[in-house]
Amino acid sequence: MTRPTLELPPVGETILTLDSVSKSYGSVKAAKEVNLEIPRGSIYGFLGPNGAGKTTTIRIIMKIILADSGSINLAGRPLDGDMRDRIGYLPEERGLYRKMKCLDQLTYLAELKGVPRKEARRRSDAWLKRMGLEEWRDRKVDALSKGMQQKIQFAATFISEPDLVILDEVFSGLDPLNIQLLRDMILEEKAKGTTILFSTHMLAEAEKICDAICLIEGGEIILNGPLEKIRADFPLESVRVAWEGNPEPPADLPGVLHREKSEGSWRLTLAEGVNPRELLPDLMAFGPLTLFSANRPSLSEIFLEAVARHRKGVQS
Amino acid sequence: MKKILTVIRKEYLERVRSKSFVIGTLLGPALMSMFILVPVLLVDKGGDDSRTVGVIDPAGLYFESLVEVLVDQGRDNVRLELIDTGSVEESLVQMKESILDESIHSGILIAVDFLDSGKATFYNKSVSAGIMRDDVLRPALNRVLREERFAAAQVPDTLFAYLAARTIWTNIGVTAEGGEEEQHEDVGFIMAFVLIMIIYIMVIMYGSHTLTAVIEEKSSRMVEVLLASISPGDLMLGKVMGIGMAGLTQFAIWTAAFFAISQRGISVGDFNFDTAFMTPVILINFLAFFLLGFFLYATLYAGIGAMCNTVQDSQQFHTPLVMGLVLPMMMLSLVLRSPDSTLVVVLSLIPMFSPVLMFMRVCVETPPVWQIGLSWVLMMGSIWLSARMAGKLFRMGILMYGASPTWATLIKVLRN
Repeated sequence: MTRPTLELPPVGETILTLDSVSKSYGSVKAAKEVNLEIPRGSIYGFLGPNGAGKTTTIRIIMKIILADSGSINLAGRPLDGDMRDRIGYLPEERGLYRKMKCLDQLTYLAELKGVPRKEARRRSDAWLKRMGLEEWRDRKVDALSKGMQQKIQFAATFISEPDLVILDEVFSGLDPLNIQLLRDMILEEKAKGTTILFSTHMLAEAEKICDAICLIEGGEIILNGPLEKIRADFPLESVRVAWEGNPEPPADLPGVLHREKSEGSWRLTLAEGVNPRELLPDLMAFGPLTLFSANRPSLSEIFLEAVARHRKGVQS
Repeated sequence: MKKILTVIRKEYLERVRSKSFVIGTLLGPALMSMFILVPVLLVDKGGDDSRTVGVIDPAGLYFESLVEVLVDQGRDNVRLELIDTGSVEESLVQMKESILDESIHSGILIAVDFLDSGKATFYNKSVSAGIMRDDVLRPALNRVLREERFAAAQVPDTLFAYLAARTIWTNIGVTAEGGEEEQHEDVGFIMAFVLIMIIYIMVIMYGSHTLTAVIEEKSSRMVEVLLASISPGDLMLGKVMGIGMAGLTQFAIWTAAFFAISQRGISVGDFNFDTAFMTPVILINFLAFFLLGFFLYATLYAGIGAMCNTVQDSQQFHTPLVMGLVLPMMMLSLVLRSPDSTLVVVLSLIPMFSPVLMFMRVCVETPPVWQIGLSWVLMMGSIWLSARMAGKLFRMGILMYGASPTWATLIKVLRN
């Protein structure tokens, strides 16, 4: 069996398509008619609260569990078992063989993705170097710190030079320095034309790195598309304000949905259609203003709003 | 296919390179010979410690003869002690005290009219003393009685020797070619037993290796990464074969060492290892039952491992599997007595029993070829079924992290 080669679409065109994929466990619907088109060379945020169905959907893509219905295409071909060799997967449940040497570990995992032995060894060496772990080459995984183990797992995901990479909560438990390192590597891989499905519930991270996102909740996709377009759909705005002496603003400011104190100033989320400027007279009347700036909506605000709208829709 | 080879290679090397493999290879034969030879030697010698048996002989006629007979029979570990403290009653009291304080093992009272009645009474504290009575004292006293009665009937010594003679047997096994060969029954039986013990120990040992290897994939959380690259069935097959080959390597080393040594002849006590017993038929069947037995149990073990998160979880499922091997061991005497009875034929065709029972039948007397063939086919079918089941359980097991498996979940998963 040779490694399948795919005829990849040009960057920007759809590489992975999910067509009404559904899966339920008993009466619980983990995925409801999920439709998704992921363009090649993008970093696609796969977002949602815990238990929303992210991992289930990913496992269906990886053929670890079988969907009840629906189909999946990779580069225009129905996804089969062999084509998984073209996909790299870093599950949230991380694992390594504790008693195996780092080099052997990477080589084995690359071989299981169909990379010939010699080549797998060469690449393992290269990745250990890239991760700054070449001294640990012949040490057992047991001897590595948790952060180092995560770097090995990261390397194992990319070692088969996949066309599509699925990262499930890749940054969890890492220190900022390593997050920076891995983020840079993800961007490097993206520049080579690799497509990345970036699953997380940490929205701030997704916001920094993703080109497009899809938001899943209760097994359903409730928001999907390029980040800029989504922002335009949620003209939800907020202002950051502060007064001398830092008093608490009144709860019933007209046009304000809610207020939140952060870093010595107040963040006021505006009701739909409210222009920040309309608010200014009331704010100035409250006290001597020291700060006033309009903010773009953050992803987490959009997220909360979208979930709220969706739940309202489901109820009615 | 290439991925299966990758898994086989990893599992094989991991095992063969481990310290426990080296130690196991060195210690294995020592342990195995202990299992097999110690009971043989112990039964042969009847234990090493000599025992004292008290004798009350009111007639005063039989004690000396009994001592002589015991010496003649080579029972030098049984010492007789005459108890005579006056009357029979007094002697009995003394003997009972001695038995209780363990200064003697047991005692016999030879009736005054022993010559006519042939009566003797055995006194003992523990039930196990019965072995001493039946194996040692009864035959000896029987001979004393016979000798005394012959003497009383004034039969001349030469005639007595003539009458007391026993048959002298030679065993000839008729070979397939119509020829003859001398048979050493005991050796044949012991060799068969040794081979069965090897099958039994290797299957249990390497089968449970599979169990821990599969559980390791889960405890190291490798399941998901692996299943994203290889199908669970292929993974199971690769693991079982890799571990099986490690077992075969170990066995090959032992066999080579065994034959190298047996060229110079091994003898332990009266027992000689007879490599002539290893005819091609027995050798081929041994390898076949060893391999099939191993793969059957290994895939069953793998299925259990696939459901469990820890070795503790697996205990409850472990017992029925081990019973599959232990039960036929307990039926061996049945096979020896009637190797071709319907019951034995049916039992030996049950795949889980075949490695022990069918192989024993092959050793005892070659059963019809179709029966051997059928047992192979049945075992192969079971292996295929059990490997598929293990793969299925492995895939399902990924969703069962945390919860301890029960029989109910097993049945539920298999039904799906």
